[in-house]
Amino acid sequence: MRTRWDIFCHVVDNYGDVGVCWRLAKLLVAEYDCNLRLWVDDLDTFNRLCAADGITLSNSTPTLIQGVSVNYWPSIWPEVAPADVVLETFGCQLPPAYIAAMAAREVKSCWLNLEYLSAEDWVGGCNGLPSPQPNGLQKYFFFPGFRPDTGGLLREAGLIARRRSFQQCDSSRHQFLERIGVNPDPNAALLSLFCYENSALALWLNTLSEGETSYHIVVPEGRIGASVCAWLGRDDYVLGVVYRRGQVSIQFIPFLSQNDYDLLLWSCDFNVVRGEDSFVRAQWAGRPFLWHIYPQQDAAHLVKLDAFLEVYSAGLSAQCRSALVSCWHAWNNGEPPVGNSTLLSGELDLTGHAEQWCRHIEGQNNLAESLVQFYLNSV
Amino acid sequence: MKTAQEMKPNSVILIDGQPWMVQKAEFTKSGRNSAIVKMKLKNLLSGSTTETVYKTDDKVEPVILERIAVTYSYVADSVYVFMDEDYNQYELNEDDIESVLPYIVDGMTDICEAVFFEGKVISVDLPTMIVRQITYTEGSARGDTSGKVMKPAKLSNGTEIKVADFCEIDDWIEIDTRTGEYKSRAKAPV
Repeated sequence: MRTRWDIFCHVVDNYGDVGVCWRLAKLLVAEYDCNLRLWVDDLDTFNRLCAADGITLSNSTPTLIQGVSVNYWPSIWPEVAPADVVLETFGCQLPPAYIAAMAAREVKSCWLNLEYLSAEDWVGGCNGLPSPQPNGLQKYFFFPGFRPDTGGLLREAGLIARRRSFQQCDSSRHQFLERIGVNPDPNAALLSLFCYENSALALWLNTLSEGETSYHIVVPEGRIGASVCAWLGRDDYVLGVVYRRGQVSIQFIPFLSQNDYDLLLWSCDFNVVRGEDSFVRAQWAGRPFLWHIYPQQDAAHLVKLDAFLEVYSAGLSAQCRSALVSCWHAWNNGEPPVGNSTLLSGELDLTGHAEQWCRHIEGQNNLAESLVQFYLNSV
Repeated sequence: MKTAQEMKPNSVILIDGQPWMVQKAEFTKSGRNSAIVKMKLKNLLSGSTTETVYKTDDKVEPVILERIAVTYSYVADSVYVFMDEDYNQYELNEDDIESVLPYIVDGMTDICEAVFFEGKVISVDLPTMIVRQITYTEGSARGDTSGKVMKPAKLSNGTEIKVADFCEIDDWIEIDTRTGEYKSRAKAPV
């Protein structure tokens, strides 16, 4: 009998939480034959992720997409039999009635809490630890990460081979870009821009627009749109239209499906990403990238940024490392670009490094497999 | 119920009907302004230890343990006997007092605390600072008086401890029972 999974996702803001849950859910169904329900408390946000696939989710009835039963997580919880494996994501609070039903089960559900991704040292020491609950249930914490003692990263089977094959085939790239309406000048560097609001964006775009290289910047619809418009001196934008200022061409495109977003990352020479899901996908893309980390109170995010930079830049030359660290710090602190944006100029061999890093993390744990294995060990 | 973030070292929580003492609590920021606390817990009944993780706002059940002042009386057949001011005797096995055993010596006068869970004595806590006598140590090799150079010394019950190089046989020393470390030379207890 297929193992039944329930994944609970509380959408805090943006697409990160639901993006990770959706990717994990699809992977568990496709590669581990799980019978899976995904409970999401904000289907409007989720609909943005599905819209590109032509799917509209409904609050009233579950929708089966790619084998995943997508359910609205209502504030008044219906009576639902708990699954064999219950995954609460990012510390969301499960419905008390559901927890009570878990406690009443003869064979207790395997209750896991999936935490946020971090490269910090302490993560390995916390991964897989129990969290005994007052009702006698045992919950376990799972931490994604970049080291062998963590849960690892989400990676679909054959992903890296598919990506390499795509990048080695000019026509694949060309066909994809054409399909999404992107036709960059052959001499322009292609960039994708997916980030949170950043007070320094205009300064960074100024630097690029005044340089010697031409850039075609693809901007999927999102929070940065208004700032980019302002830099272009416009009130609004039309999707697909290319706007030019100096050496920079800007093109807004519709929100992409996860698969198409992967292809965009693979197609670009450089990617600006944010949060968790696009951050990981940029690493699988094997291309240089700039990470806009989710800002936290007390600048706690900067510690996490540095922890990642520490592991990511380990194999770089001192010059490259310094340029990378300065650039990422400047971007995340909302400061002007450092060193005339050497990171984007192609002067540094960051593409080779990005591929090397991808090979390194490919050798680490696969998060979906780690979760499945944990459950199997528990029964 | 209290939240996990309210639990500090020496707090006791109830898990599956068993009292667990928090030995260590490390707080770390997770993502999106949430935080977790990693705890090292010791089962006060079995002495076993474990590590756990909680969200800082997770609910845990605190336990207030009853404590009674006692003094050490004697040991017989590996059963340690303590007595309160009303001459009530409390017996504890070696396993129950494993952490304080190195400091139990005949004739000790320290006011200890017998710890009770559900009416049953489960352990004994010593004062944070105790004074014990050195029964053997080598002479000072280098004449160091700074207290930074350490050497091994034995107490009357055979416990070995690192002391300052200038300490001699029959000296009384102060020991921190939380860390087991020598703190200073001391006067003989009255």
